[in-house]
Amino acid sequence: MRLVIARCSVDYSGRLDAHLPEATRLIMVKADGCVAIHADGGAYKPLNWMNAPNTLNIDDSTWTVANPKGETLTITLFEVLSDVDAELGEDPGLQKDGVEAHLQELLAARPESIEDGLRLVRREYPTAIGPVDLLCRDADDGVVAVEVKRRGEIDGVEQLSRYIERLELDSTLGDVRGVFVAQVVKPQARVLAESRGFRWVEVDYDDLRGLRPDELRLF
Amino acid sequence: MKFRCERDVLADAVTSAGRAATNRTGTLPVLAGVRMEVTGDELVVIGTDLELTIRLTVDVGGERDGAVVVPARLVADIIRALPAGAAEVELGEEELAISAGRSQFSVRPLALDDYPAQAEPSADAVTLSADVMRDALRQVVRAASSDDARAVLTGVLLAAEEDGLRMVATDSYRLAVRDLPESSVLGSGQRVLIPARALAELQRVLDGDDELTVRLGEREVVFEAGSTRLTTRLIEGDFPNYRNLLPSSHPNVLTVDKGGMLEAIRRVKILAQDSTPVRLTVGGDTVQLTALTQDVGNAAEEIDASYDGTKMTVAFNPDYLSAGIDAIDSEEITLSTMDPMKPAVIRGAGVEDYLYLLMPVRVP
Repeated sequence: MRLVIARCSVDYSGRLDAHLPEATRLIMVKADGCVAIHADGGAYKPLNWMNAPNTLNIDDSTWTVANPKGETLTITLFEVLSDVDAELGEDPGLQKDGVEAHLQELLAARPESIEDGLRLVRREYPTAIGPVDLLCRDADDGVVAVEVKRRGEIDGVEQLSRYIERLELDSTLGDVRGVFVAQVVKPQARVLAESRGFRWVEVDYDDLRGLRPDELRLF
Repeated sequence: MKFRCERDVLADAVTSAGRAATNRTGTLPVLAGVRMEVTGDELVVIGTDLELTIRLTVDVGGERDGAVVVPARLVADIIRALPAGAAEVELGEEELAISAGRSQFSVRPLALDDYPAQAEPSADAVTLSADVMRDALRQVVRAASSDDARAVLTGVLLAAEEDGLRMVATDSYRLAVRDLPESSVLGSGQRVLIPARALAELQRVLDGDDELTVRLGEREVVFEAGSTRLTTRLIEGDFPNYRNLLPSSHPNVLTVDKGGMLEAIRRVKILAQDSTPVRLTVGGDTVQLTALTQDVGNAAEEIDASYDGTKMTVAFNPDYLSAGIDAIDSEEITLSTMDPMKPAVIRGAGVEDYLYLLMPVRVP
C-alpha cells in the first residue's frame, strides 16, 4: 500500500471526462493495482478511482493509470507532502454477519432443533470447495449436510447442492441428504430446495439463544 | 423510445413503481431498476423484487415506442429534481436522456432482457369499496410484524367469515382484527395470508380511488385501483390460532377520550426510555399514566375517565398502546382488561367491527 499526500490535479477520461482541479489530496495505490484519490472528508468514497486490473506509469510528476477498457486517470503532482509505503499482508476479510456464525454455533449445539434425532458429526466439515456448515447423522444414521444462512435465498440452496455433490464423491459417507436452515427461507429458495430434494427449516434465533423468557406474548 | 410527460406525473409513477424495486438484488441486479415501456401515448412503469410488483400506466405524449430498465432511485431523484413542466425522455443507443428546460441528464440503462417477464392476471375479478378497504388496512396493517424471522406474522390474514370478510394481523405482542361485513373476496372458509408490506403500499395506492379490484390466484393476489396494479405473492404457512384469544367479556372496562389519551401517552412516554413501559393506574374517575426511566427521571399525567372494575395498575409498550388507540375511529375508546398479565382489548366505544388486542408488559 502506497499513500501519497500531494497537491495535485486529476483528469479522468473514459465513460465521461472529469477534472479535479489542483488541491491537496491523498492518493492511495493498493497492492492489487487499485488507485483511489481521496479528499479530507467523506467516509469511504474516493473523489476518483480506478479498479484493478490497472497499469500505473510514473513519469516524473505525471502518473498515468490505464485499464483494459481504455479508461485513463492522469494525476499531475505539483508538490508531494508525504509518501509512505507499507506492506499490509493478507487481510482476513470482513466478518460481516455475526448472526450467521452464531446461528451455526447454536445449531451445532442443538441439532435436534433442526430435526428430531439429528446429531452433529462435525462443524465446518471440509470439502474441496469449502466447508459444509454442519455435517450430521439423522435418526436412521444417514448423513445430513446442513447449510445455515441468516436469510435463506437461492444462492444458499445452490451452495448446498455443490457441497452435496462433493460429499457424495466420498464413498465412506454414502448418500447425503441436504437440509437448508435459515431464520427466513424465501419462497424461491423453498421451491428450489424442494426441487433438489432438500428439506428447508426456519429457526428462531432468539429462541435458540433462550431469549425473551420473561416477555409476555400472545403466541 | 421517446416521450414527453409532466414532471410531477412521471416522478410519481417512477417513485411508486420504484418502491417495489430492491437493492437486495442478489443474482439479478436488474431488480434495482424500473422498467419503462412506451406504446403509442401510454407509458407503463414497473418495479418488482419478485415478491411485490407495482405497475402504473401513465398518459404521455409518445413519439417513439420502446422499452428500457433504469436504476429506480437514481431516475426518481433526477425526475423530481427537474424544473417544473414537461420532461422529455429519449432512449439513445447507450443511454437514456432525461431533460426539462435547460437541465439534461443521461443514465446508463440496466439489462432489459434480464428483467422478469410480467404475466397478465387471469383470476376472476372481485370489486370492493376502496374507502372501506383503505380504512381497514389503516387499522390492521400496523399490527403485523416486520421481523422476517417469523414470516407468517409479516402477513395479514384475510379470512372468509359467515357474514363477510375478516382481516387479522399480529406481531405476537398485539393483534388487530377488523370485520368487513358484506364484503366478499374469498370462497367459503378460504383463508389467505398477504404480505403486510404489499398492503401498506396498497394503502398509498388507494388514495382517492372509488373501487378496488381484487384477483386472487393460487400463489399471488393482484389489486387494481385506478391506473395502478399491485401484485404480491401470498405467504405460505399457518397463521396462529387467534380466536381463543378473543374474550367474550372483560370484568374491567376503562372508557376514555381518544384524543386526550393519545396526548397524555405522547407526553409521558418521553420518560419511557430504553423500552420501559407506560403504567396505567385505574380505579376511580381518572386514569393515571406514569413512566419511569432509572437514573433519568419520571413523568405522570392524570386524565378524566370512567371505569368499571377492580383497581389495578397495568403496563404497556407506549408505542403499541398509542398505535392501537390511534387506529380507533371513535371519539371515545374502551380499554378492557382481565388482569395486569392478560391481554387487554381496545375498541371504539360502541363499535364492534374492530378490536386491538394488546399484551401488557410485566413490571416489578
